[in-house]
Amino acid sequence: MIEFQDVTVVYNGRPVMDRVSFTAQFHEKIAILGASGSGKTTILKLIVGLEQPDSGRILIDGTDISSLTEAELRDIRMNFSIVFQEGALFDSLNVRDNVAFCLWERGKASEDVVESTVKDLLNRVGIEEAMYLMPDQLSGGMQRRVAIARSLAGCRPRMMLYDEPTSGLDPLTDDTIIDLINELSSGDPTKRTGLIIVTHDVSDAVKVAERFMYLKNGRIQFDGDLEALKSTRDAGLNKFIKDIL
Amino acid sequence: MTLQQLLAELQNFYVLSISSLLGIFRRSLKWRDVLEQMDYAGAGSFFIVFLVSLFIGMALSLQISTELAPLGLKMYTAKIVSISIIREIGPVAIALSYAGRVGSGMASELGSMILSHQVDMLRVYGADPMIRLVTPRVLSSLVMLPILTAIGDAVSLAGGYYITVAVSQQSGAFYWSQIGNELNFFNILSGLTKPFIFGYLIACISCTVGLSTRGGAQGLRRATTTAVVLSTIMIIVVDFLITQVLFFILGMQA
Repeated sequence: MIEFQDVTVVYNGRPVMDRVSFTAQFHEKIAILGASGSGKTTILKLIVGLEQPDSGRILIDGTDISSLTEAELRDIRMNFSIVFQEGALFDSLNVRDNVAFCLWERGKASEDVVESTVKDLLNRVGIEEAMYLMPDQLSGGMQRRVAIARSLAGCRPRMMLYDEPTSGLDPLTDDTIIDLINELSSGDPTKRTGLIIVTHDVSDAVKVAERFMYLKNGRIQFDGDLEALKSTRDAGLNKFIKDIL
Repeated sequence: MTLQQLLAELQNFYVLSISSLLGIFRRSLKWRDVLEQMDYAGAGSFFIVFLVSLFIGMALSLQISTELAPLGLKMYTAKIVSISIIREIGPVAIALSYAGRVGSGMASELGSMILSHQVDMLRVYGADPMIRLVTPRVLSSLVMLPILTAIGDAVSLAGGYYITVAVSQQSGAFYWSQIGNELNFFNILSGLTKPFIFGYLIACISCTVGLSTRGGAQGLRRATTTAVVLSTIMIIVVDFLITQVLFFILGMQA
């Protein structure tokens, strides 16, 4: 379980998160909505320990990760896979090596195993032909798909974290990525790989998530399911979700 | 920048400087990364070092022989050129070129990796950015800048030879015999100690600044500029300090 307890994060004297508290199960499918700069990405970074809160606690399966060292965080991070906005592919490595990176870092897989795993994963996300291309030779949609393939290599995450996975994509590619995200988190609702998707695109959020949070001014203004989201009386949130009403 | 931010940056610099050296002894260091960085920093800088050194050697030789000729002392051209090049101008000029090319490259590459979350991804996968990114760059600078300086000094002296013989009409054999006399312990120690320290400083400054990049394209521009400016200032200041220390150690007086 993921638990935020009164978490506050301050950047340059401005609170990006202000005493945020919530809990989430690993199998849940959650969308975090909010305008740019509302602290959505910060939540993902806090969950995997890439950033530390200025105050408050973050518990992963009961362990407070706020005070852990990088070495201790390694085990915690094995629970998650993260796909950053625009993919965050290593630009000095080709697609094959990007996907294989996790296999090399987290295990001692033989070259044969690496080769077949990478092929399988690229096949699964539908871009096997791009195996030896460099990231700058890929379109935005292909980069996201490689990033998703990489996030699945060498680990079985309990939860996927997506940071604006469809921003800047055309509607067709957008749908492909959403389908892929749904496929990876399908199955028994109590055992499946959960997800947290951070987005300002409400129409994408409703396609993948069952629980919705709305961040504004560093605080969670709304936390509920789709029905509750549609019937909210919050004026700011109503403007935000007008596309799905 | 507030005092608190300045202290935090200095702390980052010291931690990075020490951790990057300790990283050399870590098993997770990838020697392929080190070789890649050496190729970029060394082989990639050869042409610029060659050009800069050649013209510095020729200009210096021309200046000195022109000034010494009316005094009937132009036979000392080689002596003055060699001391200037080996002890001072060679290490400093090549370090400045290196900071401009390699230091700025390090800062912008690491800054770009920060902004595009590539460094975050390394951490998520359990790879230590210090070992994967910083140690190879520091190690390559420690090795390649002294080598580039030795090559640059030789090219400068060859440029000086051309001017001395072709323009100043002096004996080439006499020029090289004077150069040979100046290749003593102190000059070589001074000439090789400086690039070693300069290389370490340039890499540590550039990596610290690159890894603390914030704020998009403007932040990247600021980081690259800061890396070059700080490296330039530190090269000049540390050059003076090393000279003082070497003079003190070897008992030389002005």
